[in-house]
Amino acid sequence: MFEIVEWIVFIIGLILVTIGAICDLAGALGLLRFPNFFVRLHAATVGTIGGAVIPLFGVALIAAVSSQIGPFRWAVAGGAIITAILIMIIAPAGSHALAYAAHKAKIVPVEPKVCDLLEEYEKKKMEAKKK
Amino acid sequence: MLDIYLPIIFAIFLIAFTLYIIRIIKGPSVVDMALAVDCLAFDLAVFIGLLTLYFRTPFLIIGAIALALWAYILDIYIAKYFVRKEVGE
Repeated sequence: MFEIVEWIVFIIGLILVTIGAICDLAGALGLLRFPNFFVRLHAATVGTIGGAVIPLFGVALIAAVSSQIGPFRWAVAGGAIITAILIMIIAPAGSHALAYAAHKAKIVPVEPKVCDLLEEYEKKKMEAKKK
Repeated sequence: MLDIYLPIIFAIFLIAFTLYIIRIIKGPSVVDMALAVDCLAFDLAVFIGLLTLYFRTPFLIIGAIALALWAYILDIYIAKYFVRKEVGE
């Protein structure tokens, strides 16, 4: 009974690692092929959340049931889960800070633009400061 | 089973690393390079986790946490420099 559960957890971990590898390749291709910075942010998010968080959960599941690592396997599983949760919090915050800085310092043009509310707000704030 | 399956995953990850490094070298602006370094550091954390399973050594996973936090510090400092034109403390 217990062996069947261990095999199921092992297979789920391998599937998660495979999904992560495919997402990582897709994110790298998108980061190389997309035209400018604000479009590349999308590919970077695929590469971090899909390519780093999901395989780390898979590593945690595989390490929790693999008996070759020995008595330290719960340490490996815990470290992998901690790293996954940290990346899940950190990666959107970091890419959002980079996007805000690039928009504010005007180092890359905002090219596929429909409307830019942040730019209008800053223009309005500058006019209010002049008066 | 892990000994046969994990090298295929390693090959896919190494192709992705190569593409990220091409973007780091080629990147037209500094924020592109910072974004690519960010993705590369998070994927190296995953690679360390997979190497832990492959070599069956439990001490490698400790480096992954510090690597993830390092990439976040790099992002925040570059963003702060571009917004304020100073690094600050």
